Amino acid sequence: MNPRLTRQELLRRGAAGTALLAFPSLLAACGGGDGDEATGELKDVLNFSNWELYMDTPQTRKAAGLTGPTTLQQFTAETQIKVNYFEDVISNSEYFATVQGRLRQGQGIDRDIIVSTDNDRFLGTYLSNGWALKLDKSLIPNIENLVDAQAHPPFDPDREYTLPWFSGMDGIAWNEDVTGPVTTVTQLLEDPKLNGKVGVWNSMGDTLGLVMLENGDDPAKVTDESFDRALAVIQKAQDAGQIRRFYGNDYAQPLSTGDLAASMAWSGDILNLGDPKLKWVIPEKGGIIWTDNMLIPTGGSVPTASTYMNFVYDPNIAAQLSLGANYISSVKGVPEEAAKLNPDAAANTLAFPTDDMLSQMHQNDPAMLTNPDYEKRWLAVQGK
Amino acid sequence: MTSVAAASPRARPGVARRAWAFAKRHALAVYALLAVGYLMLPIAVVILFSFNKPAGRFNYVWEEFTFDNWIDWNAVLGIQNAIVTSIEIGLLATVVATALGTLIAMAIVRHRFVGRGATNLLVFLPMSTPEIVLGASLLTLFLNTTAIFQLGFVTIFIAHVMFIVSFVVVTVKARLIGFDRHLEEAAMDLGANELTTFRKVTLPLIAPAMLAAALLGFALSIDDFVITYFNAGGTQTFPIFVWGIARVAVPPQVNVIASAIFIVAIALALGNVLWQYRSAKRAQGAA
Amino acid sequence: MGSFFHRHGAFTPYLLLAPGILWLAIFFLIPLAFLGYESLQSGLFPDFQFTWELSNFSNGIRDYREQIVRSFVYAGIATIACLVLAYPLVYWIAFRAGPWRNLFLLFIVAPFFVTYLVRTLAWLNILADEGPVVGALRAVHILGPDGRLLATTFAVVSGITYNFFPFMALPLYVSLEQIDPRLLEAAKDLYASSTQAFLRVTLPLSAPGIVAGTLLTFIPAAGDFINAALLGTPGQAMIGNVIQAKFLESLDYPGAASLSFVLMGLILVALLVYARIVGSERLTG
Repeated sequence: MNPRLTRQELLRRGAAGTALLAFPSLLAACGGGDGDEATGELKDVLNFSNWELYMDTPQTRKAAGLTGPTTLQQFTAETQIKVNYFEDVISNSEYFATVQGRLRQGQGIDRDIIVSTDNDRFLGTYLSNGWALKLDKSLIPNIENLVDAQAHPPFDPDREYTLPWFSGMDGIAWNEDVTGPVTTVTQLLEDPKLNGKVGVWNSMGDTLGLVMLENGDDPAKVTDESFDRALAVIQKAQDAGQIRRFYGNDYAQPLSTGDLAASMAWSGDILNLGDPKLKWVIPEKGGIIWTDNMLIPTGGSVPTASTYMNFVYDPNIAAQLSLGANYISSVKGVPEEAAKLNPDAAANTLAFPTDDMLSQMHQNDPAMLTNPDYEKRWLAVQGK
Repeated sequence: MTSVAAASPRARPGVARRAWAFAKRHALAVYALLAVGYLMLPIAVVILFSFNKPAGRFNYVWEEFTFDNWIDWNAVLGIQNAIVTSIEIGLLATVVATALGTLIAMAIVRHRFVGRGATNLLVFLPMSTPEIVLGASLLTLFLNTTAIFQLGFVTIFIAHVMFIVSFVVVTVKARLIGFDRHLEEAAMDLGANELTTFRKVTLPLIAPAMLAAALLGFALSIDDFVITYFNAGGTQTFPIFVWGIARVAVPPQVNVIASAIFIVAIALALGNVLWQYRSAKRAQGAA
Repeated sequence: MGSFFHRHGAFTPYLLLAPGILWLAIFFLIPLAFLGYESLQSGLFPDFQFTWELSNFSNGIRDYREQIVRSFVYAGIATIACLVLAYPLVYWIAFRAGPWRNLFLLFIVAPFFVTYLVRTLAWLNILADEGPVVGALRAVHILGPDGRLLATTFAVVSGITYNFFPFMALPLYVSLEQIDPRLLEAAKDLYASSTQAFLRVTLPLSAPGIVAGTLLTFIPAAGDFINAALLGTPGQAMIGNVIQAKFLESLDYPGAASLSFVLMGLILVALLVYARIVGSERLTG
């Protein structure tokens, strides 16, 4: 009743199956969806995709001593534009993966503003592929409030397409209950007492950037030699079992439970966690500063987005945002405004760094971030 | 005196042997309980910490007991939408996939036809494909057919049915292979046509397998992350929601939802047990 | 007495198959075709060209041989562990649990209702370095004073075992459940001991379930990446992690696509070997 499926038959059927895979004609028609044209009109709705914990909420405002409505509500009150705020940027790579398909076809993604970080290859990729729309600077007079340090980034020298949202600093954090202070990258990667309990990032710009500084190289101008040197340091630590894992944002809990003794960590995370046994420093040889940038993707409404960007570049609004989210603003005059609103909170140097701290900060070289050979070797160190 | 002396040596080995026999008989039950314990351990932890009131953002140290999280279960933005979406998709996809899969299983097991081997292969292939490949390749299809498919609820539903069908087929097939056809033949000999036979004889007998397959399918659907992620567009299912929020710290409300689903499932099962018990009793009483 | 199906008997299988197979053809085969096309492309994102780039396959195998082998080893160990752990449990449920069997079946599947990530995080909690389990193991010297359970091969394989346990247990249950207990009685009547009855009656009759369970567990386990990502170090990276990184991080879609086919091809080979061993009729019925 049941015929035997002999091995030969299975192979034959399998071969017939794989022949189905050559479908060139079907795919010739691929692509070329008609894109939504960016309208020149102001809309009454703004769709904004951002990271989690990047916007003031009633709770965080209360904790920061701020009263009144949230900045989003203030924006709506002032401009009659409703904001649909999505906290769906979980990581630069994952967000990119979900939108690249539509962008590649010239289609919109139902967003007017999205955010991507400059320590990763994806921000540059949006721009180099023409998937970002030019800002309407006539609607952004507050752009003059942009701090000088951010005025001419290498990926967007004239700030035609992007504007900073928040910045954060890369440093080292440690768990007081598990270990004494860890203040240099070398100590982090080579101290045998920390073996197997060290975390680094899976992000090439952040991790190798800190290592390059430790090596005395400039992370903003990467050469093959400086890359090789930095990679070798990480490889050595990995081979010695020093590094437990390459983390994304999720190093914080293991650090807190003691699975990690010390880890490369972002200033904002540590601040937001409020766990008193976690300490954070800028490494002795300097740290990396990264910036999340707003951009208008294909299909977004340029006037609406530009209006919002102008709104958040008002120093008072920017100060509220910084106080409410605990990240660093790129708007001039924010520390002073914040001091007016809440002097104690404004004294927190993790969110309002001093000039001295900022002078120890460096940025990544976008050419390193988009180099495919570097990327492949970086993944190889992680076993991928 | 001699009778007492004679009695005691016989009693002691009896106890030991009886104890050993007791252990052997119940070893399997003990093992089963231990195994269930192992399976349930993380779930117990999850449920426990749903009642925790964390001091900071992290929920891994027990601070104090509170019902707040259960009362304010939807306090976290997006969590309610996410779980409702997950359940809707789960139910829909499971029903459709179980139906399609059972039909395929019946065809494969009971009929000889041209293309049977290829069908077997086709059903196996989704299971031998990594989830990330299933997800990414399906996305390519949807992106090239945006006139028909918009990323969202529908595309997630389609993706879920696609990967659940294979599991249904395999599960139901295992049951059908040992199925006694004589029962069906007997029914037809007694005058039932094929449809009636199917309804009254076949279906009830394969129902347990279909239920097992449906259970597995629903669990797969409600738990799926990778395939869903690629095809969700902006729609959030519960796993996607958790993935996003776990990047920093998981709020206790997530534990609450997870525990709630679990408790509902157990309650249904207990209800089923009670129902069967009462039906059996009633049958006994009637007999 | 003729019914529609009786008269059109030859069409019956095709009618039964049609809806399901159509679904798979449109939503599985065609996307795979796209993927196959992608695997033969070359170039950098987003400008890929179709160049019959077969070297994608050979390069993939050469560069990631370690991860490929590791994936199959981990999946194999986890599958065997699942079988050994699940069989006694499922046996008890099928033969001894009586009216409680549905409840226990639910216990098996229940972990899936608690979301992959949430239960893995619970394990991270339970097995934490400073947690009770590791503490106890250190106290009885199973682990050294600095020993840990997380970020090890043990953790990754255990994670895979735990997560795929229902895939083994349910098919096993389905085939055990239908074994007629009278067969076992008959065996006992013929003077078979419990062990003999098990080995010569129950075990062979449960073979389809074992085969189904093994396949359902091994195949997805080989392509898993989440356990290795959360519970392991880079030294435990599996081929799934490589493919994920290629899709998401390096945007090397041709490489990712070709590795996917390599993985699928190897699984097919393993399937054929397995079919040989157990007899192909068991595989297809």
